[in-house]
Amino acid sequence: MWELLGASLLDVAHLKYLVPLCLGTLAGIVGGALPGVTITMTIILVLPFTFGLDPLQGLAAMTGVYVGGECGGLITACLIGIPGTPSAIATMFDGYPMAKKGEPGRAVWLGVWASVAGGLLGAVFLIAATGPLAAFALEFGPWEYFSLFMLALSMVAGLTEASLLKGLLAGAIGMVITVIGADPIMAVPRLTLGSDFLRGGFPFLPILIGIFAFAQIVADVEKMGPAGPAGPAPIANPTLSVSHVKVIGEILSRPFLLLWSTLIGLLIGVLPAIGGSAANIMAYDQAKKFSRHPERFGTGIPEGIIASESSNNSNVAGSLVTIMAFGIPGDAVTAVMLGAMIIHGIQPGPLFISQEPRIAYGIFAAYLLAHPIAVVIIALGTRLFLRIVTVPKSALIPVVLVLCVVGAYALNNIMDNVWVLLIFGVFGYVLVKFGFPLAPLILGVILGDQIEVNLVRAIMTDANPWLFLTRPISGALIALSVASVVLAVWQHHRTQARLAKAPEVDVDF
Amino acid sequence: MPGRDGIAGLVCLAGSLGLLALTRGLPHPALVPIGPGFYPRIVLGVTAALSVVLVLADLLERRRARAGAAATVEAPLPLIRNPRLVGATFAIFAGYVTLMPLVGFRLATALFVLALQAALEPEPRRHWLRIVLVAVFTAWLTHLAFEGYLSVLLPRGRWTGF
Repeated sequence: MWELLGASLLDVAHLKYLVPLCLGTLAGIVGGALPGVTITMTIILVLPFTFGLDPLQGLAAMTGVYVGGECGGLITACLIGIPGTPSAIATMFDGYPMAKKGEPGRAVWLGVWASVAGGLLGAVFLIAATGPLAAFALEFGPWEYFSLFMLALSMVAGLTEASLLKGLLAGAIGMVITVIGADPIMAVPRLTLGSDFLRGGFPFLPILIGIFAFAQIVADVEKMGPAGPAGPAPIANPTLSVSHVKVIGEILSRPFLLLWSTLIGLLIGVLPAIGGSAANIMAYDQAKKFSRHPERFGTGIPEGIIASESSNNSNVAGSLVTIMAFGIPGDAVTAVMLGAMIIHGIQPGPLFISQEPRIAYGIFAAYLLAHPIAVVIIALGTRLFLRIVTVPKSALIPVVLVLCVVGAYALNNIMDNVWVLLIFGVFGYVLVKFGFPLAPLILGVILGDQIEVNLVRAIMTDANPWLFLTRPISGALIALSVASVVLAVWQHHRTQARLAKAPEVDVDF
Repeated sequence: MPGRDGIAGLVCLAGSLGLLALTRGLPHPALVPIGPGFYPRIVLGVTAALSVVLVLADLLERRRARAGAAATVEAPLPLIRNPRLVGATFAIFAGYVTLMPLVGFRLATALFVLALQAALEPEPRRHWLRIVLVAVFTAWLTHLAFEGYLSVLLPRGRWTGF
């Protein structure tokens, strides 16, 4: 394992891979720093550029975007008070007050070095756990896979902020989308309404690009105009010079906080389709709960920054484990990576690491190297990134949409894909307006085909439906699915009860 | 009158029932235990059931809200803020997709970026030079990068030939 990793590190350090990795990391940092441009959006924009590259070059660039994006989000969170990405929200709670108190360099570099520490600790888990988990997944039959996918869907539906019911319905709609087209056993066209294009089903990536890009862009468009609220004041001429030894010392002097936050990030990353936005908030919350001085959180203390940043970068490692060992995307970014892998003829899943060791270890190596590269880029370019942030949205949005169109069109050089992008852009926007979460929908689209294939295989092997419950792993996964739904319902009722009590508390004050 | 959730549930219910009806025409092979309609019927059935529950939950919620007469009634937030700009964005994008196979990627992209910037920019006349430059450079640079360096062929125009 370590020999392969060493060889891959040397491989990726070659200019052929290092250039896409550096460019991807740079794009990630810039995209992450730009408020309103998430890492998902950045990776969607980078996707078409990878079509002409070899698979490892493309995946190295995407890994760079992922790591760079998590680091980039903290720059604007600390210096402008607007998190560049949702995964930097908790960083802002203490990073911005610290910068306002005259320590912008300390705030930014605490975040950067905590990201590196969390990311590298996450890398240990990524490298050590992916192989054994993939080997474990090889024991799975169609029953276990079906149950695993159902668990993924039920967890995502349950963990979304909107209602569980809407989460489940969004997941079901995603699965309905995959039903359109030829059936996987006999290739009989289903629900195609006579369209030749639909015989092959809806292509996955234009759906993903349409839903995510439009949902975000149109949300920005809605905020445009003179009525938009003024944001927090940026730190004027921030001095970012700082003693790096001292900052690293500050982080390492809090080993429990670092390890606990990293662990939270990893676990949330491993869970399907949740992502860094939940990880940083949860890690921040935990850091506050374990602190002897919880009242100081939000006033500009290092603990808040360390917890948030170490968790969101280790979250990347967790997400990569899930996609590489099980073929399930850990979040929206890895969903795009999954699409890119399939375009390059690679099938992620339990056999990936044994069948494509060069690419699997190449991703590990790219992940490890992306961290020092991000540090160098941030050291050289933070002031420039702050200028890029001032690019008007009216100029940025059309350019982003053009790159989305190229990404959809270049999949197989047909305009139909661009129409799919538009149709699902409108569809996703309508769903958001009606309060449906998009994560379960996307997961339903991604897993729908696999759920069907495994269900049909299981029934064709043995028509006894009780096997889904009586096979130990499958039964445990189904039990966990039910438990996750029950837990979500219980949490919903508890929140409702708290909300009902809230006005009484307000009256006292 | 149903609320937003009720309307969403009714639309999903109608859609899933419509598609469920279409699965009736799917063949049922004699040699295998399950045919191509097996899985779609399960998924569409689940979707329809969840839609019904959503409609019922909305009705119950509204009835509960009506019963609690003492509670303060807040005006619902508008479904779309800035609806003109949102509509214009979708319309300009649809125009771009329609125009691209006719006039080619470069011209369609330049026109699209120009039009959308003009729509989104609060003071387009003041920033006309930036708008034109961004439009021209976006079309030129994306074409150069994708066709020139990444070997990704972009659409040619039926009318223009480039």
